[in-house]
Amino acid sequence: MGDFIERSKFSCALGGALSTIAAIPKAVPIVHASGGCAAALSGTYNLSAGYRGVGYCGGNMIPTSNISQSHIVFGGEEKLVGQIESTLKYIKGDIYIVVTGCQTEMIGDDAVSIAARYQDRNVIGVSAPGFLGNTLRGYDAILSALVKNFIEKKEEKDVRTINLLGIVPGHDVFYRGNIAALTELLGKIGVKVNSFFGDAESVEKIKGYGNASLSVVLSEAAGQITAKQFETTHGIPYVTTDLPIGPKASERFLRLIAEKLGIEKDVVDDVVAAETKYFYSYLERIVDVAADLDFQRYVVAFTDSYYAFPLIDFVSEELGWIPHFVSINDLHDKKKQEEYSKKFETLTSKTKPQVIYEDKEGLAKKKLRASWPYNNNQKYYNALSPLYLIGSVVERDLANDYGAGFLSVAFPVSNRAVLNKGYAGFRGALSLTEDLLSNLVSAR
Amino acid sequence: MPVKLNENLKYNYLAADEPPVRDERVGGCIAYCGTCSCLQGDFKSGCAQAQNRVFSQSGGCQLGLAVGIINSLTRAVTIIHSPLGCCSGMAGMAGVRNTSRISRGLPAEEQVFIHTNMDELDVVSGGVEKLKRAIFYAEEEYHPEVISIVNGCVPGIIGADIDAVVRELEPQISARLVPIHCEGFKSRFVSSGYDAANHGILRYLIRDPQEYPQLTEEKQIKYDFQKKYRTSRTVNIFNVGSNSNGDEVELSRLVSALGLIPRVVPLNSTVDDLDHLGEAALNVSICATHDDYLLGHLKERYGTEYLLDVLPIGINCTNTWIRKIAAHFHLENEAERLIKQENEELLEAIAPFVEQLKGKKIFVGGGETRILTTAEFYKSIGMELVGVKAHNLDRFVENLLNDIQDPNLTIEVAAGQPAEELNTLNRLKPDIYIGHAGANGWVTKLGIPNIPLFGAPINYMGYSGAFELARRAARALKNTNFSKNISRHVGYPLTEEWMKLDPNDNIIQGARF
Repeated sequence: MGDFIERSKFSCALGGALSTIAAIPKAVPIVHASGGCAAALSGTYNLSAGYRGVGYCGGNMIPTSNISQSHIVFGGEEKLVGQIESTLKYIKGDIYIVVTGCQTEMIGDDAVSIAARYQDRNVIGVSAPGFLGNTLRGYDAILSALVKNFIEKKEEKDVRTINLLGIVPGHDVFYRGNIAALTELLGKIGVKVNSFFGDAESVEKIKGYGNASLSVVLSEAAGQITAKQFETTHGIPYVTTDLPIGPKASERFLRLIAEKLGIEKDVVDDVVAAETKYFYSYLERIVDVAADLDFQRYVVAFTDSYYAFPLIDFVSEELGWIPHFVSINDLHDKKKQEEYSKKFETLTSKTKPQVIYEDKEGLAKKKLRASWPYNNNQKYYNALSPLYLIGSVVERDLANDYGAGFLSVAFPVSNRAVLNKGYAGFRGALSLTEDLLSNLVSAR
Repeated sequence: MPVKLNENLKYNYLAADEPPVRDERVGGCIAYCGTCSCLQGDFKSGCAQAQNRVFSQSGGCQLGLAVGIINSLTRAVTIIHSPLGCCSGMAGMAGVRNTSRISRGLPAEEQVFIHTNMDELDVVSGGVEKLKRAIFYAEEEYHPEVISIVNGCVPGIIGADIDAVVRELEPQISARLVPIHCEGFKSRFVSSGYDAANHGILRYLIRDPQEYPQLTEEKQIKYDFQKKYRTSRTVNIFNVGSNSNGDEVELSRLVSALGLIPRVVPLNSTVDDLDHLGEAALNVSICATHDDYLLGHLKERYGTEYLLDVLPIGINCTNTWIRKIAAHFHLENEAERLIKQENEELLEAIAPFVEQLKGKKIFVGGGETRILTTAEFYKSIGMELVGVKAHNLDRFVENLLNDIQDPNLTIEVAAGQPAEELNTLNRLKPDIYIGHAGANGWVTKLGIPNIPLFGAPINYMGYSGAFELARRAARALKNTNFSKNISRHVGYPLTEEWMKLDPNDNIIQGARF
């Protein structure tokens, strides 16, 4: 099982559950745990996800049973019942999700059955104690419970509707912008997106998600459980691909979905041509400065698997930068690691990056250092420079050590405020380019 | 006649692996809605301490406060023995640690922390092997001076013995190992976390200082004499996580102005600083809720006298703070001269703000000591205090409550519980709110302009802090568009039924848990 982690970039399953609930419109969590869990975990995503805020009913507004010493001995189920009933009276919500913490799971409180008693009032129960896993596990716990127990079964599927999974709210700091970008892009080829967290979503709409004819999962590490649940409960097949960033990746993404849904090639061709043209009409603006100031960089990425390949793919295939080193912090299964590493072989850059899987920050840094020959005080030294580091805020000091350009994209991001920005699709990639290059010119 | 705040409290817990929680050691009230005079009566009779609430929301966890202290130490690595959620916010705090250290003139340091990442298997096995590996890893990779092991709820419930791990590994590790028992479920008072961290500091980190003999007898005599003199003039000022470097500079300035030697401990200290904690004539707390446990035990260990009862916020409290310190050294005349000059300068400086703030209604929410002293300041410059809300209420603020002299003042006791607070604020309709992190956002959504009760870069304490308090409140009232817009377009999730409810109806008697 999992070893210890240095400078973890994940919260626990309950943290992931709360971050996910906070992204569902007018959803209210009821936490069956000790008093501090809910506010602290919600605070993690408030402060470390581009200042995403606590949301509709987050932070210390979260109804909590406040389990303490005596409940550990005598059980806390009674306390939970009172909490559910008063929450229904005092907090406006379209859905109430009872989630458990470590303490109540360990003493064997049956919160899920208690929640089921209030099913007719849109209450569902989900087991999401911290020890179940990390943030991503909590995301899947909430969504798969919704898929299983809340979303209505529909025999008739809409052949042009997909469920979009794997974009974990908060953990993907740009989740709203990314969802908006992909929803708009897919709309152009006539595909409707069920996204759970998008701008026009509601609990009422989520209830109808059984209508999709395909689930698209944008992560190897999150959304897989939910996609399987959609398959077993609602008979919806799924496909796993990468978060598309930039023209080439977005084209691949559109063609994959079009093929799965049987959309005609002409439709996709037109959209790809128009969007690529749009992309380059803006990218053109930086051509002069990029050439005059020699903006080509070696690139190092310290991220999760959700962002690692998409980011490296974009900077390598579109910007022509040199992918040197990728440290991924979330895939632990050896087989999954091997498969993920293969993606980087598809890059057309002559240099392929070294890909490592490491969740101990200190060791990842050491491996980066070892990836390039040392300077032995020779007269001519081929340095790892100029270098650009894409990671999380944790790597800011590392970038300084190397004198590298730096952009925080992966969680945690506490050095930037993020509102509706996203990096996905053709247009999101323009935002990403802006941010990457702004760092290089910010001192001018 | 005010009583001593910690009368009858014992400070003899260092033989135990973990300190008693505040519930047992101090007691107090976690749920109250009423007037100041009713609360005083109910507190004396013990009824206030036996209250709880029906509808409850998330409050705090003692683990966070304990880590706030222990993780601030210089060259320290913190190991969180728990699943990944506890302290998961630390990853995003790398810059905060450095800003805080650099503001104090300390070298920047990486924020290194390790989670033992307890999973379902560890719930059964205890995860002790993983913890041991984590300790060796911290030692080998970072060579820190302190490795603290912070115990979360999961190992707390299954009874994993981190003290045994520390005893076993101590001979093999050059860093000082310190186990901290701060499981969230164990206490209804987050302030237990302060005791948990201070217990660790007292029991595991403070060692007898290394003395290096001087070369000649003459030099030795001179050295000993100098040390004795320095110790006799040294005042330890005990900082807290919520105070800024500005606060420390201001309080040190005031102590220096009396001709004494200020030393700020224990946050951001090195283990060497901690070893020399005993070399002081007086230990001065700036908040009894934070560190009575530490100062009480230091008295037992070194015989150092201490002051507990004043938080130097606002003019009157800062005056009292100076007087009490001066009295210990018989510097009463010097103190009065200093106070007179400081007060004159300050009153002149804040006069324009006082003009703007006069008669405006204010509500203060947050930690018990800070809110009562902050409220006292705003009241003293002519604002109308309409209410206060304390996270919890215990013996450490009984004197401050007596000082308020407004029997009908609304007092709410609640950790977090923004629903109760918004309900109260909606009735009282203050012009400005000053509150603890986590509350201000909701108050903005209610449409009330606000400023934070504390914050890392801001000076709140001493005379310069009083100036800042006045200046910031006046500034916040100059343009209130933000809270107006947010309340109109965002709002809060509470029902009409709740907002119409008397918050006291949500309080139940005789149900402590």
